[in-house]
Amino acid sequence: MRKFVGALAISALAAAAWASPAAAAEVKIGYSIAKTGLFAPAAPSQINAYNLWAEQVNARGGLDIGGKERRKVTLIQYDDQSNPGNAVKIYEKLITQDKVDLLLSPWGTPHHFAIASVLERHKFPMIGSTASSVQLRNMKPGNIWFTTAAVADKLATAMVGLLQSAGVKSVAVLTNQLPFGQENKKFLMPALKAAGIKVLVDADYPPNIKDMTAILVKVKAANPDGVIGLAYPGDSILYINKAREVGIAAKFQYLLVGPAIGFFRGMFKGAADGIVTLGHWSPHGDNARSKAFYAAYKKKFKQEPDYLDSVEAWVSVEILEQAVAKAGLDKDKLRQAISTGTFDTIIGKVRFDGVQNAVTPTGFLQIQKGELHVVWPKDRQTAPLAPKTGWK
Amino acid sequence: MRLLTTREAVPLLLVAAIAAVLPLLGSDYYLGVGFILFGWIALAQSWTVVSGLAGYISLGHVVFAGIGGYVLVLTWGAVPVWAGALLGALAAGLFALLVGLPVLRVRGPYFVILTFGLAEFAKYVVINIENALGRFGRLILGGPPLETLYWAMAALALAGTLAVVAIRRLRLGAGLVAIREDELAADTIGVPTVRFKLFAFALSALLPGFVGALFVLRTGYFEPAQAFDPVISFTIVTMAIVGGSADARGPVFGALFLVALSELLWSNFPQVYMIVLGALLVGFVLFAPNGVAGLFERRRAAAAAPAGG
Repeated sequence: MRKFVGALAISALAAAAWASPAAAAEVKIGYSIAKTGLFAPAAPSQINAYNLWAEQVNARGGLDIGGKERRKVTLIQYDDQSNPGNAVKIYEKLITQDKVDLLLSPWGTPHHFAIASVLERHKFPMIGSTASSVQLRNMKPGNIWFTTAAVADKLATAMVGLLQSAGVKSVAVLTNQLPFGQENKKFLMPALKAAGIKVLVDADYPPNIKDMTAILVKVKAANPDGVIGLAYPGDSILYINKAREVGIAAKFQYLLVGPAIGFFRGMFKGAADGIVTLGHWSPHGDNARSKAFYAAYKKKFKQEPDYLDSVEAWVSVEILEQAVAKAGLDKDKLRQAISTGTFDTIIGKVRFDGVQNAVTPTGFLQIQKGELHVVWPKDRQTAPLAPKTGWK
Repeated sequence: MRLLTTREAVPLLLVAAIAAVLPLLGSDYYLGVGFILFGWIALAQSWTVVSGLAGYISLGHVVFAGIGGYVLVLTWGAVPVWAGALLGALAAGLFALLVGLPVLRVRGPYFVILTFGLAEFAKYVVINIENALGRFGRLILGGPPLETLYWAMAALALAGTLAVVAIRRLRLGAGLVAIREDELAADTIGVPTVRFKLFAFALSALLPGFVGALFVLRTGYFEPAQAFDPVISFTIVTMAIVGGSADARGPVFGALFLVALSELLWSNFPQVYMIVLGALLVGFVLFAPNGVAGLFERRRAAAAAPAGG
């Protein structure tokens, strides 16, 4: 059987090679991502989603270009080494030297932020994914959009709602000094104050922090109802390890980015149960696209998708594909199509208002018995919020 | 005295020729590479003034570029772009004057460590200021076009090269070299060492301030950890060592060599690039301590030597 499949693949390849002189050139799609460095743990979630998409598009006969033709896609990927400055150079190179037809987004807010002015300079539209920035939104750029509902100001409101519903009266706020964490904190602190939730510990720490013990000992002493960790993947892992060791007993424990990645739950087993994180997607809903994505991802990579980053990356390519089908590859028409269109995605309909997703409500996920569930907003719940009970 | 000796004319003509040729290739990509190349030349020439001539090895030269970039984003929209860049350069020069007096009192490895520490210190001060202001990176949309920045940077590279050529001809240059060879002796024979060192330090900060401002305009993005990235300081030193640092040729050769290497390698093999860089550095220090310029010199000396001599 395997031999037969192999032979079939070879003949398919041969046929493709035979057909290729007549077929149009491939659509070149470029991006950079943090394959090494501080953000490397997060990158596979996104790379997998891109690769899966490219494979599916090519299996469908190629990308639909303005309803006129179908062309195969080829991805051009560079490693930005977690350095936003490198991402700037790479996107410049992708546009001016590699002359790509389309761009996909890098991982993370700092990188999206850094390349925004390259996109503006070259008037090259790119749909963002794993990022959001109120600061960038306020500058009203025209060539970048954020698929996520996780924008700092909306998140602050949603978080206060979640805390109140859980009866949390006091919190510790631990913040990574990277832009996304800091911007979240900027909106969260006044919202907490307005809601009368006391902040017992307020600590910032550097992005490459190696030991959190001192901060967590302080948190334990203050004994708040909730811990809000505005963390990135690396420090989320650090938090679980140390909080378990120190014995943080808060009934509500939140980590901004990290727990939605597949390996996170595998890594900590029961200890991660009860952790709340950012996210507004789950495969448990009744969205058909969503189910197909989940199944295909799991089949290809033998693991679950990252409920946050794989999902945002996937949504960004879904939107790109639909916009290109409508407008073709012309940059001006494409920009117009993205900014005015409504798109079918695995998180439901998406439409942009400026840079921001105007439809999807901000939500939170919780790890329950090793599965991720949407716990907020209430009307999209796949399970109610449960208190964190120890570290097992 | 001749108008220009060969070793003075070569770097000047090389910079001018590259500046004239690159735009003819008609691609933004090559203009971008040229922009980076001239940036490095200007930085390395500036570094040569204080570290090559006076022998005070600075491992924190990025601090001046960082200050220049920061002043530019702070003044963005408030003053014209060129004025912002100029203010950046002046701020960097002023900073060098202020810290120069205490810092230049120490020598050798202590000076190296101190300059490195100072740059890191400045970086964290700016990070904390930015966090306190609630600004997490700053964007500049609608900066000058690439061609403008290219010519501005080419002018800075030429200015830096010219400055090193000129300083070597002046009493200042002779004084700085005397300081490098034996500071105590220089002081004894009447070289105003403190004044010369301080002046050289401030001078070597001006151009980097300008370069830093142009870097920010080019990327359209300022973030302190990027703008004050110590790797920039290390790269300057590497270029000087690879090029051979005692006159204006070294920085030009070194920058050309490393920029060419990095364009070939970094985008596709970023890790390999760092390995090759490390190996080169070790190789040059061990086998060609006078760099590319030294290699040329040696060949010429060998050719000129009488047979059997």
